Amino acid sequence: MIHLKNIEKVYRTATVETVALNNINLSVEKGEFVSIMGPSGCGKSTLLNIIGLLDEPSKGKVEIGGKHTNGLPDSQLAQFRNQTLGFIFQSFHLINDLPVLDNVELPLLYRKVSSSERRRLASEALEKVGLSNRMKHYPNQLSGGQKQRVAIARAIVGQPQIILADEPTGNLDSNMGNEIMDILTTLNQRDKATIIMVTHDENMAKRTHRLIRLFDGSQVS
Amino acid sequence: MLKHLFKLIWKRKKMNSLMMFEIFFSFLILFAVWTLGIYNYRNYAQPSGLETDNVWVAFFNFNAPNDTIQAEYKELVRQQLTRYRAVHSFAFTSSNAPFTFSSMNNNVEYNKKSTMSEIMRVEPDFPKAMSMKISEGRWFNETDKAGNYRPIVITRHLKEELFGNESAIGKTLGNGEGAGANDPKMKVVGVVDYFKHKDDFQKLSSCIFQPSERWDDTMVMKVQAGSGAELEAQISKEVARLGKDWSIEIQQMNNMKSNRNNLVLVPVLILLIVCNFLVFNVALGLFGVLFQTISRRKQEIGVRRAMGATQGAILWHFIGETAVIATFGLILGVFFAVQFPLLNVFDVEAGVYLLGILMAVISVYVLVSICAFYPSRQASVMQPATVLHEE
Repeated sequence: MIHLKNIEKVYRTATVETVALNNINLSVEKGEFVSIMGPSGCGKSTLLNIIGLLDEPSKGKVEIGGKHTNGLPDSQLAQFRNQTLGFIFQSFHLINDLPVLDNVELPLLYRKVSSSERRRLASEALEKVGLSNRMKHYPNQLSGGQKQRVAIARAIVGQPQIILADEPTGNLDSNMGNEIMDILTTLNQRDKATIIMVTHDENMAKRTHRLIRLFDGSQVS
Repeated sequence: MLKHLFKLIWKRKKMNSLMMFEIFFSFLILFAVWTLGIYNYRNYAQPSGLETDNVWVAFFNFNAPNDTIQAEYKELVRQQLTRYRAVHSFAFTSSNAPFTFSSMNNNVEYNKKSTMSEIMRVEPDFPKAMSMKISEGRWFNETDKAGNYRPIVITRHLKEELFGNESAIGKTLGNGEGAGANDPKMKVVGVVDYFKHKDDFQKLSSCIFQPSERWDDTMVMKVQAGSGAELEAQISKEVARLGKDWSIEIQQMNNMKSNRNNLVLVPVLILLIVCNFLVFNVALGLFGVLFQTISRRKQEIGVRRAMGATQGAILWHFIGETAVIATFGLILGVFFAVQFPLLNVFDVEAGVYLLGILMAVISVYVLVSICAFYPSRQASVMQPATVLHEE
């Protein structure tokens, strides 16, 4: 499903060169639930951004769903992100000026989907995460756990094959974190979604199929 | 997508109201400038009905004890001027000759319709000196003096005002309020289409030409092309020598017209400069607000990019949002602007106001698009990974 080959990411300024990722080789199969762990600054989020086509590697090849993504034009990358990938962020990244339902609809805005169909799909996604009674609320009227569930609904509304979660439980207490993990596990088991999750939490990582550890930009296990 | 934009704008209405009001005021300023510009241009585009090239205006002071003697003096001047081959034609007029700073008007009546009109007394050679063309009827001549009515030539504007589509020739006009009991009625003998006697930006107006009186001491003369100061000095010197204590001042009509035009153009120019300054400030304001808005919404931009928005979609999203805000400001502005034609403020044609509104709307959209483009472009090229990480 996802194949990374000799991935290297170097951030360069006029005076400093920082190696964020060094020779990463990674394969994730369809339906796998993989977690990535490592200390802060080891390159976890950078790796996730490269898999999510939000950033380009300095070297190496990225292949997702049999398609090489290196050098694709912006329009194709955007389309790929829209249709194949779903994102969940640590700080939720909801648009506070839009109600929950509109937040969830967001990925569908960039597809040719009618307004009524968008409403239907967004409502279904919110039902899956147990928030169908909060559709008209604004994000600032929700708890952290509810916000993350909205973010999950937004990630799955377009029925992507891959969900990328960047510390989805990082801003939540353990109870809420477990709730979120339950939802992700269900998505993986029931809907066969491929999930790659960056986490700092060993307990959360233990609930996934496979753990990848990074240290100083290199894969150590 | 439009509904999505409306929702965002409505939720941020307090923040957007500043931009909306900036656009509203810009619209009003632009509306004023465009309307004034269109009004003046439309007037300017109308034929003037006369030619001022090689036309001189002579202001005489005969110091005559009475009108009879002044009439004799004027005859002497006529005889003198016929001696100059470079003077092609001339005619005495009242002191409100074209492009002088003098005006004379009165009410005229026809079938209980009354209107104010400029009255210009001229000699029969006036149209020749001013290269004017008669469009209906004829110009009055010496034989008309014998009639019971005062022969007059009127402008088409006055004709339409008093007679509509009917022919004006042969109709008699009464003198309006304030006229003496012995003032003869006026009979229309001819119509001229255009006659701009104040400046090039004068709108079509009412004017009556009637035969000159003995006391009229202003003269228009058509001279040969290329005649200059030498002829002017010669005429001044030789005519002044004809009588005791006579004085004569000659001016070129082109210069007089130019002075009158400046009276219109200078205020327009000042308004344009002020408008440019204000619009520039508004543009800077818009630019600043948009930059600030986009800088505050980096997270949203990152999320949209992650969700599948292309760079182009982000660019158009912000331009579209600004255009929608501009539309709200414009709706408010247009509401006020349409009151001008509805209430017929300043007696300007409704078409001028409507065109002014249209041009101001286009100008605001162009201004807003220019101001929105660069910040929106900056937003569109933001790296999603970077902006999401920043948040």
